[in-house]
Amino acid sequence: MQSYWFGDVEGGRCTLFIGDSHAILDRIQSISTSLETYIPPDWEQAVFCGACRDRQDYLARLQAVCIAAAERSIREQYSKKDAELLQMVRTLDEIDKVINLLSEKTAEWYLIRYPAFSRKYRRTPAHALVKTIRERSKGALGKVAGEIEELEKTRTILAKEVSSRANDVMPNTSALIGGLVAARLMSQAGGLLSLSRLPASAIQVLGARTALFSHMKTGSPCPKHGIIFQHRRVHNAPRDVRGKLSRVLAGKLAIAARLDFFRGVAEPEFLETAQKRIDAAGKESRP
Amino acid sequence: MIWIGDVLVSRGEGGVYSERMLGGARVWDPYRSKLSALYYKGTGIELTTTMRVLYLGAANGTTVSHVADYVEVVYAVEFAPRPMQDLLEVCRRRRNIIPVMADAGRPERYAPLVEPVDLLYQDVAQPVQAAIVLRNCVFLKPGGTVILMLKTRSVDVRKEPSEVFHDTIGTLTSAGLIIQESTWLAPFQADHAAIVCIKPKVQGLS
Repeated sequence: MQSYWFGDVEGGRCTLFIGDSHAILDRIQSISTSLETYIPPDWEQAVFCGACRDRQDYLARLQAVCIAAAERSIREQYSKKDAELLQMVRTLDEIDKVINLLSEKTAEWYLIRYPAFSRKYRRTPAHALVKTIRERSKGALGKVAGEIEELEKTRTILAKEVSSRANDVMPNTSALIGGLVAARLMSQAGGLLSLSRLPASAIQVLGARTALFSHMKTGSPCPKHGIIFQHRRVHNAPRDVRGKLSRVLAGKLAIAARLDFFRGVAEPEFLETAQKRIDAAGKESRP
Repeated sequence: MIWIGDVLVSRGEGGVYSERMLGGARVWDPYRSKLSALYYKGTGIELTTTMRVLYLGAANGTTVSHVADYVEVVYAVEFAPRPMQDLLEVCRRRRNIIPVMADAGRPERYAPLVEPVDLLYQDVAQPVQAAIVLRNCVFLKPGGTVILMLKTRSVDVRKEPSEVFHDTIGTLTSAGLIIQESTWLAPFQADHAAIVCIKPKVQGLS
């Protein structure tokens, strides 16, 4: 038997599919054919079957159901919990970039206006200058500094939202590495499904693309960590165990991501043993 | 193909992606569309009004809209939701594009929708581009044409583009396709090659 979108055909006999608009979408999303015995659909057969009047009508009906089916698939994909988190964390990272860029620029501008002022010896990174600039500068410069401060407030709110959404969407991964970093891993992988399909070794160097490719192309030392370095667990660890710790952590993260994708709830037993194992790896020192 | 002077155009409703219009026709920019680049290189097959096309990797419908201006119907396969959103907008304004939201690597999922086609056009950023073509050859009429846009950088970044190019041609030939021509798309597109092949009239495809 051959199943087509408009009906089933067997031995020259055609059974028209009858159902409402929902049923036909379900059919399109679920039917699948073995390609060994596949006979492509024939519009004349569809006419014979009573699905349409002529060639033009065949295409019009097919297009209508295909558009509806695609619209439904898009809606389903977007309603997954990770879809919004992805956009949130990407926006957050972009805001960070903008804040850095603007504060660096305004600091340079401020230095020109006040030639006697220097950032040397004062331990003043650009972002710490923003408040001073806003208070002391008139016109556009002060305005821009004010905008940066506003943006920083927004950033704080967004970061909290990302964090709590990550705890909800990916509870196990977030428990191991914190909501923000977990969300960034997910964003870098392209979604929770993609993250759960990655091997641990890929998760370990996720976000270290340049270093990884230069390693593959020229044989420079391979990167030990990518995004996971942002977690204090990794960057606070002694240098000589960082590589090992990253590997163990990435291994546990790979399991956690799969738990998050397939179960979606925190698994206390797994988390407890994983935390112990990761902590142990952070303490071991080479003899 | 329709050329006005030395500019490739297609005849259809404009404004799909703010493309330029020339004498009432839509300018088909070789820097934005690989298929257009192929025609600018002096190769590629003539698109006719009776053709049915299976287009894998339709993205947001830029090239698809031009192809649809020339042919009878285009089956446009795209997997990602974001570009599909744009593609649907193009479909709503053109009667002869059938959007198929599916993975081009799994043709069994959309086989119940797709007719036999005269042209199989493939432009997906996947490391297994050649394999995807072979899997979709089931939709191609004997004597039909395959146009494969090879993104050598997404097949394997460690390999030289020319190496990837030769490997792919080897895979296609050993599966029984007859290579008609193969061109690099420089200067319009970097590290991209186009491979045009024919499915033999006598079935010998493994």
